[in-house]
Amino acid sequence: MITLGNYLALSGIIFSIGLMGVVTSRNVLKVLLSLELLLAASNISFVAFSKFNGDYAGQLIVFFVILVAAAEVAIGLAIVVLMYRRLSTIQADELRTMKW
Amino acid sequence: MSPFFFYLFAAILIFASLSVVLARNPLYNVLSLVVAIFALSCLFVILEAFFVGMILLLVYAGAVLVFFLFVVMCLNLNSLTLTTAAQSRFRWLGALAGLMFTSSFFLAFKSFIKAQTMDASSIRGTIEAIGKILFTDYLLPFELTSLLLMIAIFGIVSLAQGALSTGKDTDNS
Repeated sequence: MITLGNYLALSGIIFSIGLMGVVTSRNVLKVLLSLELLLAASNISFVAFSKFNGDYAGQLIVFFVILVAAAEVAIGLAIVVLMYRRLSTIQADELRTMKW
Repeated sequence: MSPFFFYLFAAILIFASLSVVLARNPLYNVLSLVVAIFALSCLFVILEAFFVGMILLLVYAGAVLVFFLFVVMCLNLNSLTLTTAAQSRFRWLGALAGLMFTSSFFLAFKSFIKAQTMDASSIRGTIEAIGKILFTDYLLPFELTSLLLMIAIFGIVSLAQGALSTGKDTDNS
């Protein structure tokens, strides 16, 4: 029997993996990918709560989260491409200046 | 039927996300995120959230991750830029933080007894149901997301314009 606790535990595991990726990786692309994992983990929680509470609002919030993630990825990848053009690397340690 | 598929797709999701974080090649990171999104979409279908699962496949696997792949190939990350990257000294610190986070999650779930006894409701997240509530109760947030996307477009255009005007000499580090 799959309960709400199973989905929440899965969400916690995925969130932890994503958090590890955000904290430890120096590659900016990998940080962005791990951010997607964090959003996916929160999406699991939202859909599971929506199913077990009988409320559609959770699934709507997942819809909005996907939209926000699309905007975030577009801006983030544009910044990554600019950073590669300027610094010819995508290591996060090389970003030492706030303004160039 | 449902427990087997839940554990199958949960295992695929966990291994794919571990591969996202741990694989060295950026191409493999992106492709394993595609696998993770597929497994996530299957979990949503198990939860009968059909609309959200479909949107996840279309928007994430279809658009966002193809965008990621495009950028990875566009950046031309040769082996030099990848292998000269020093290992992070704080890798163990991140693993410790993740472990603490997971254990605190599990402690929280153990105290959350109600989650274990709650029964699944009979709601089905079809396009009709989601659309009805989206265009009545949640119309204002839906319109605000269009504003957000427009601001994102403005930001990207201004970034690209700055790159065009000042990016003539690209090797000034």
